[in-house]
Amino acid sequence: MIVTALIVPFVIGSLLMLFRGDVPGRLAALLGAAAMATSLVLFAMVWDGPNGVSGEVDTSWIEPLRAHFHIGVTALSWPFLLMTAFLGLLCCIWLVADDTSPAVVGLVLVISASSLGVFASLDLLLLFVFFELALIPMWFLIAWWGAPDDPDGRRRAATRFLLFTVSGSALVLVGIVIVAVQSKSLQIFEVTSGSVVAASLIALGFAVKTPLVPLHTWLPDAHSKAPTVGSVLLAGVFLKLGTYGLLFLDSFMLHDPFGKVAPYLAVAGVVGIVWSALACYAQDDLKRLIAYSSIGHMGFVVLAISTQSVVGVAAAVFGSVVHGLITGLLFFLSGSLKERFGTASMAAIGRGLYTRTPWLAVAFVFAAVASLGLPGLAGFWGELLSLRSAYEVGDVLTKSGAWTLLGFAVLGIALTTAYFVRAIRLIAQGEPVPRDEDRDLGGHEVVVSVALAASILVLGLAPGLIVGLYDHPTVTYHGSYSAVTP
Amino acid sequence: MNIPIDWTVVGPAVIVAGGALIALLVDAFYPRRTWLGSGLPSTIALGLAGLELLRTHEPNDYVFALSFIVLAGTLFVVVASNVMNFENAMPPGEYHFLLLSSAAGALMMVAAHDLVTLIVAFELLSLPSIALVGLRQGDRVAIRSAWTFFLASVVSTAITLMGISLLYGVTGTLDYAGMNHALRTTDLPDSVVAVAVVLTVVGLLFKLGAVPFHVWIPDTYSGSSVMVAGYLSAVSKAAALGAVLILLATALPPARDTWQPLVAIVAALTMTIGNLGALRQRDAIGLLAWSSIAQAGFLLAPAAALFATDGRRAPVQYLAIYVLANLVAFAALAVIVRLRGSTTFEDLTGLARTDPWMGIPLGFALLTLAGFPPAVIGLVTKYVVLRPVIDGGHTWLAVVMALNVMLGLAYYLRLIVVLVDRADGEPYVSPSPPLSVRLAKAMVIVGALGLVVLSAWPDLLLSNLP
Repeated sequence: MIVTALIVPFVIGSLLMLFRGDVPGRLAALLGAAAMATSLVLFAMVWDGPNGVSGEVDTSWIEPLRAHFHIGVTALSWPFLLMTAFLGLLCCIWLVADDTSPAVVGLVLVISASSLGVFASLDLLLLFVFFELALIPMWFLIAWWGAPDDPDGRRRAATRFLLFTVSGSALVLVGIVIVAVQSKSLQIFEVTSGSVVAASLIALGFAVKTPLVPLHTWLPDAHSKAPTVGSVLLAGVFLKLGTYGLLFLDSFMLHDPFGKVAPYLAVAGVVGIVWSALACYAQDDLKRLIAYSSIGHMGFVVLAISTQSVVGVAAAVFGSVVHGLITGLLFFLSGSLKERFGTASMAAIGRGLYTRTPWLAVAFVFAAVASLGLPGLAGFWGELLSLRSAYEVGDVLTKSGAWTLLGFAVLGIALTTAYFVRAIRLIAQGEPVPRDEDRDLGGHEVVVSVALAASILVLGLAPGLIVGLYDHPTVTYHGSYSAVTP
Repeated sequence: MNIPIDWTVVGPAVIVAGGALIALLVDAFYPRRTWLGSGLPSTIALGLAGLELLRTHEPNDYVFALSFIVLAGTLFVVVASNVMNFENAMPPGEYHFLLLSSAAGALMMVAAHDLVTLIVAFELLSLPSIALVGLRQGDRVAIRSAWTFFLASVVSTAITLMGISLLYGVTGTLDYAGMNHALRTTDLPDSVVAVAVVLTVVGLLFKLGAVPFHVWIPDTYSGSSVMVAGYLSAVSKAAALGAVLILLATALPPARDTWQPLVAIVAALTMTIGNLGALRQRDAIGLLAWSSIAQAGFLLAPAAALFATDGRRAPVQYLAIYVLANLVAFAALAVIVRLRGSTTFEDLTGLARTDPWMGIPLGFALLTLAGFPPAVIGLVTKYVVLRPVIDGGHTWLAVVMALNVMLGLAYYLRLIVVLVDRADGEPYVSPSPPLSVRLAKAMVIVGALGLVVLSAWPDLLLSNLP
């Protein structure tokens, strides 16, 4: 079942790229949407409870290396899988238009499918192959279909993104080899111990992907130069590959050695929260602003991961998934704005969208307040749980350290509120200056926005849907990871 | 000094050398000097040598794997060399004679188990390939390249000979096993042994193109015919690596404290300098020349951990994929040189669109060299060479390798992007190519298909090579 869920988007994506000249754009996007919907439904159906691995497939792959084709859904990966398939589906719906190039749909499908593969892999080498597989398609998506006004800039941004990620993933590879050599197995659940070197190499590699300050410099350019679907996948899915990697390969698989690395990650995460919030003030380009805000949100997730507590795991998964949905919505809407006005500069878009394009403005404000953590919407729980995990200190941080970080993180929340309010004031409110390009949300934009807004609302009202996965009776707060261990 | 000859070991080499002579004679007495006239005997000789190899060796033998790589690589070169048949300046008889003589040297080199055989094989490999580089008549650049190659080769041989004589002096034997025994049992002056080992290894590293003996490579590759460059980068390098591995693993294990750090440092420098050099290239052949220096670093790295788990298998498995991918790339470029006259990035723009049967295999070969999915086999062999390095405790070297993977991707991807980019202006349409070009094209496609199949089933390679 999982294999089908992975193969369908891969095959349809490759076919669309191959026959890009023969398929009309609209049909291609609908085909893509169908493929991602199949994947989503299959991943939803395969689930049979948080205990154990659902839909496990384990066959021999490369015998001499003891590498298996081993995939399955765990409590840790399930929310990521659903979120990825959901965002992939919405990206395809977004692309339903006559002027869509089938190759873009194909790239979206391949990127989504590779990311699904990463989340579903239970073998280290297989996970790494999927991890790398998504990168070159993403390069093409940014470099060829990115910002139309800046061909050199988008190429530079794409290359920088790729080289940063590859240097990170190369370090992850070294970490994986160390783990494999030490525990004589590539199966993640068979890894018993590892060295601090392996844990720090893997952490460093995924820190590039997450990204953590100071390894974040690739992110603002890549996100702002990418096409709308590229930005959504980068922020919604690719950053989650980083947090998932930290959670699964470091915090879970190398639990003990990761404890030595975690405090540094926590500090980097909190520095990112404050730093990115300050950087957001200086942004005029809406896409850059959202990109920087992502660094802050990932800071919360990393802070939660580095506490190595059960609340931390719940907070990290919840924060990641919710960030995917909210930032996805923000990037979709800023894509709408960019499509209309040819730029994402807030000064150029002008004030008073409430009057000019009411539904677009409402959707944007909804996403912005969700992102800054308004109670009742999903963003709130991500940050609250993260702060709570820091408050409870967890297994590895010291109390004074954790609480200091907590203080800075709270400061970051205040700053986040401020810059989102500034953005809302700059474009949504104020005296409207109508322009010819003003046009409210159209057909597929409504579908995408409503779908994301509804999911944000549902998770905001019922966070237990995800958090409940880690609230198993066998779990105590001081301990173990048995909730996420099958 | 009596050196017994083991005919079962030299069988394939003798057959190949015989084939070289027949190719030369056919060309001399056949009225019209055609490419096929000497190419056919060469192909048959290589095939017979392959059969002889299968007959006399266990398929899981280390020497078998290396000889097989040498034979298959040479066969690939011979068939793909048909693309040069239009060049009147390139005499086919001499070409095949020199190529096969050199291949015979390569076969002997990987089978050598004493230092005299090694040095004779080394010369048999080197001298014909020097002539091959300068073979094209009236080409001053080629002759200059051959001179560079010759001088560098002679110096390195001299150094190796000095090392060998020192080793002979201290151990009293030239046989690998005896040397191992002597180094282990007798109390020899450490400094002399160290100097002897370093000098011996140095000459072989030259052939491999390792830093600091890499300078001849870009010059030689750009001056010679494309397929000759392909031969040097694949087969000749395979033989050198095989000889280094066998020498280090069987003769010099007791002196490992001397050469292990040396090899590790040389490997790290080689891959870094090679990659940095490749970053500056704007010509596909120059790029492949520098990248083959960098790849030599990856080949050499596991040699620093020969005694770790799979330390001896890893370099051979990496080598097999490197040879195949490199030959596919060079053969594709040879076809392009024939059809378009140049391999600068401008001339290659949009190749995957205008000529997908050349552009896509070339792109896939480059992805394999970069070690990036969908060329899974490239990634898997990168993993394979990382494993012994880490098991042997050289974590720093592994990190250097990892960063070099990133550097490598930077330029391979640049070329791949050039290949798939939209071409400016009129797309180049090649006229219906003659049979000779089609043969070379077929080799490119077959080789690339091999890479695709191995990417789908990496087990196929990893389970079957020793």
